Amino acid sequence: MTATTTTGARSGGGMSAVNNLIVKIGKSVGGVVGVLYQSGRETIDVIIRNILPFMAFIAMLIGIINKTGLGRGLAHLVAPLAGSLIGLIAISIFCAIPILSPILGPGAVIAQIVGVLLGTHIASGDIPPQYALPALFAIDSQVGCDFIPVGLALGEAEPETVEIGVPAVLTSRLVTGPLSVILAYFASIGMYQGLGK
Amino acid sequence: MSLSMALAGISLAAQPTVEKPHGFFGALATAAQWFIGLFNEGGTVFMGLLTGIIPTLVVLLTFVNALIRLIGPEKIDRLGEVAARPGLIYYPIRYLVFPALSVFFLTNPMCYTMARFLPERYKPAFYDSAVSFVHPITGLFPHANAGELFVYLGIAAGITGLGGQIGDLAVRYLLVGLVVILIRGILTEIITARMMSRRTVTEEAAA
Repeated sequence: MTATTTTGARSGGGMSAVNNLIVKIGKSVGGVVGVLYQSGRETIDVIIRNILPFMAFIAMLIGIINKTGLGRGLAHLVAPLAGSLIGLIAISIFCAIPILSPILGPGAVIAQIVGVLLGTHIASGDIPPQYALPALFAIDSQVGCDFIPVGLALGEAEPETVEIGVPAVLTSRLVTGPLSVILAYFASIGMYQGLGK
Repeated sequence: MSLSMALAGISLAAQPTVEKPHGFFGALATAAQWFIGLFNEGGTVFMGLLTGIIPTLVVLLTFVNALIRLIGPEKIDRLGEVAARPGLIYYPIRYLVFPALSVFFLTNPMCYTMARFLPERYKPAFYDSAVSFVHPITGLFPHANAGELFVYLGIAAGITGLGGQIGDLAVRYLLVGLVVILIRGILTEIITARMMSRRTVTEEAAA
């Protein structure tokens, strides 16, 4: 049985080389197409499971806020805060308060709602556009504070590390939250000059 | 007026000269009109998001997902071993390059598993640094945290609304994000070290 195969291979040496080449090309092309297809499937999955539900919920919220005139009231409330460096620093400190930050954290839902709200106020001219960058950091100083034990467990941390890690991250945020706003404020100098009013 | 407009919307053949609704049912009709108006407005917003964001996002996500699969995320394992080394010059690797690449390749929340290459005392700082990068990265690479895009997209929509280009915002968000995660990593590492040494002292005192 083995002998027959070897003789067969020997007699058709050129042929089998071509065969191998074809198999190799077929395999690698198939592999790449498989990867692309899988990526497409993953993308559509994420869009349907994560992005569309959030869009639906945001659209409903904005629709109601715009139509009921709640938006104008909110603008009076938010614009002075988000339209100045001091106000933004205040927001970031508020979000980073160790008791509040884990509550504000989950799924970044609150940060996303506030982000969308600020966006509509930037578009309407209530908040100057150069505050977009510092605002991004101000509303996000609580990022991941709800997830510290799980995140550390994913990194295979010991229980003692988790015990110390949670307060360590929470305290660090009180300093780095406002600091990130100040950094962003200076980094946004010269951005969107002359845009809006 | 509002009812006549609604009737015109329902059937084009309807006469435009309809009496204004009055009385109890008139009030009901106006209320209903206002109520459905809330959701019409929401629908318009939804359609705007759908046509404005989804098409580019689908293509971009597919491209980056394919790229990551072709490169292979296990390549950054080796970087983790380098990042674990002590010493001042490894700070930028540990709290800048390593978390940034982890978030890019493994995305939220799998990026935090990369902390397994680091000694215990660096883990909280690495987590802080990685988790702080999951929003700044979305401006340019939305695949990394597709579930939480609206922190950036919400504010970016304001710039688009004014007629500005969001590229500038996206790049600056990413760059400032990189500086911030480095600072967060270093500061949290210092705080963790303090708390760990304090704990060992109290434990020794108790023993």
